[in-house]
Amino acid sequence: MTGAALFRWTMSYFAAALIALLAAEAMMVAGLGFPAEPLRSPSSLVLVHLITIGWLSLTMCGALCQFIPVLTERPLHSDRLALPALALLVTGLIALVLGFLRLDGRVASELPFLSLAALLLGIGFTLVIWNLACTLWYARPLALPARFAGLGLAGVAVTAAFGTIFALVLEQTISGTFFVRIHAGALPIHIIAGLGGWLTITTAGVSYRLLAMFMLAPDIDEASGRTTLRLAAIAFGVVVGGGLAAVLAEVSLAVVLGAALIMAIAALACYGRDVLQLFQTRRRRMLELNSRMAVVALVNLALTAVLCIVLAAIGRVSEHVGAVVFLAAFGWLSGMMLAQMHKIVAFLTWLEVYGPVLGKTATPRVQDLVAERAATRWFMLFFVAVWAATGALLAGSVPAFQIAAFAMAAATAGIVGQMIKIRRLSHVPQARRLPGNAVQPTLLFTAIKVT
Amino acid sequence: MTTEFVDVDVRPILRAGGEPFSVIMEAVEGLAPGQGVRLFATFKPIPLFGVMGSRGFSHEAVELDDGEWEVLFRPTGAGFAPPPTHPDRVDAVAWPAPSIDLDNRDLDPPEPMARILEATERLLPGEVLSALLLREPRFLFPELTRRGHQWRGDFDAKRTTYRILVRVSPSKAVQG
Repeated sequence: MTGAALFRWTMSYFAAALIALLAAEAMMVAGLGFPAEPLRSPSSLVLVHLITIGWLSLTMCGALCQFIPVLTERPLHSDRLALPALALLVTGLIALVLGFLRLDGRVASELPFLSLAALLLGIGFTLVIWNLACTLWYARPLALPARFAGLGLAGVAVTAAFGTIFALVLEQTISGTFFVRIHAGALPIHIIAGLGGWLTITTAGVSYRLLAMFMLAPDIDEASGRTTLRLAAIAFGVVVGGGLAAVLAEVSLAVVLGAALIMAIAALACYGRDVLQLFQTRRRRMLELNSRMAVVALVNLALTAVLCIVLAAIGRVSEHVGAVVFLAAFGWLSGMMLAQMHKIVAFLTWLEVYGPVLGKTATPRVQDLVAERAATRWFMLFFVAVWAATGALLAGSVPAFQIAAFAMAAATAGIVGQMIKIRRLSHVPQARRLPGNAVQPTLLFTAIKVT
Repeated sequence: MTTEFVDVDVRPILRAGGEPFSVIMEAVEGLAPGQGVRLFATFKPIPLFGVMGSRGFSHEAVELDDGEWEVLFRPTGAGFAPPPTHPDRVDAVAWPAPSIDLDNRDLDPPEPMARILEATERLLPGEVLSALLLREPRFLFPELTRRGHQWRGDFDAKRTTYRILVRVSPSKAVQG
């Protein structure tokens, strides 16, 4: 029993992720990519991947490198892989962006950027998956949240594999019938495996433990959580297995996606029941910012499901798929990740700075590092802006979307500013900031390894 | 030879949130040669098995109704085991009764960790504190190790309360 050390590069992953998020929001404000341009346009592809790889995946990778060792009581399989993986993912994303921009001539270069991106991102994700999967493998039997994370890793593996094939086919580096068919038909699988299999399943798994921990609630009943996990795994398996079969047979994906949607809705309903149980059995009556904002994000997840069902019922999914994906990506995933990131940054910073001197001298509390009121205002602005932007997408109004995106960008900048202040201990009165031998933390990585 | 058992029921102490370790050890000290202990507890007292093992007792645990446990500790005839060498087990038999009992179950993380570390600073070298927690304090363990303290802990049968015993480093003064 060695306990959990601080992961050195969580802040580096978070910083890279936040830069990608701000860049994506700046694009939306400027009218580059969807909805001002078609969903499949090169600019939209840039925008989508800045959000999914740059923002959401980097956040998740950085968080899991800290979280999985805490969950499993085992140190990370390798401490050395995490930083090269980050460098590969960031350079791979830059190559991907350049590759997309080359498609419509905005970047004039003969370099095969997309193939390069496939290589760099492929290795980067492989390193992260390998590192986390090995940690999980040697820690079996796994607690429920860790099993969700394991399924999530399968999700990112599938997503990255499809993405690699798309990039290589687009640049005609590969041209076999098998790959061309996948490129022609497997985009929905790529999107669902990424947003659903990887990001949503992992976020849900992590939320089980984080919500229980910060609300002082007992962990979810194992049997109940297992049902949720199984339903999610079946939905994921149907999308990937059934979807791939349909794509290779060149038949419509509609039946497969319909079946998967039903399973996914059932899994979400079970997840909703589990989360409700966490809130009902909590010992902490007054909720902190991260738990309150998690509620809003969870409501957005439910809204996404309802929107999906309504659009499917009136046969207009394909027309509004952009709005559905937007609400899932920002209302649910981004909202949840920003809220938890704000707490994680405060918690890890507190542990890094004050852990070594706890008990030896008077130290601030975690909440002293945070300006909860100011942060709450930025979060509320963020969520209201996301709802407005979703409404603008459904109404088909690009100018309204751009105004809402501006509000989102401003809110994100405000939240980032709050996190920088947490890292700098700005909210702690000067006299109490560094008692005893406490050391000022650096902004972008954890300097002291608490082992 | 049939073993004669002395009954020790620590369930009332545990239900009251108390720490029964000293009561059990007192009973063990008072045993006649060849006598064993029949212990009743509200959870499977796994940490005790090691302690009793090093004192020359085998254990046989039976789960009763409501998740409670009856454990028979029989003298193995081997007398005291040779001194253990694992750092966590050093002086295991000599852990005194806790000088401080904390109930940190209603505190927000990481306040339980802060309270425990603060309390260890008030204890003298070799003294023990007991704390009740809602979950395993994963971030506390590295800090305890760094400060040279020993600990042992486990969940109760329902896995709703984690009890940790921390023994302050005998050389606390030089830990800084």
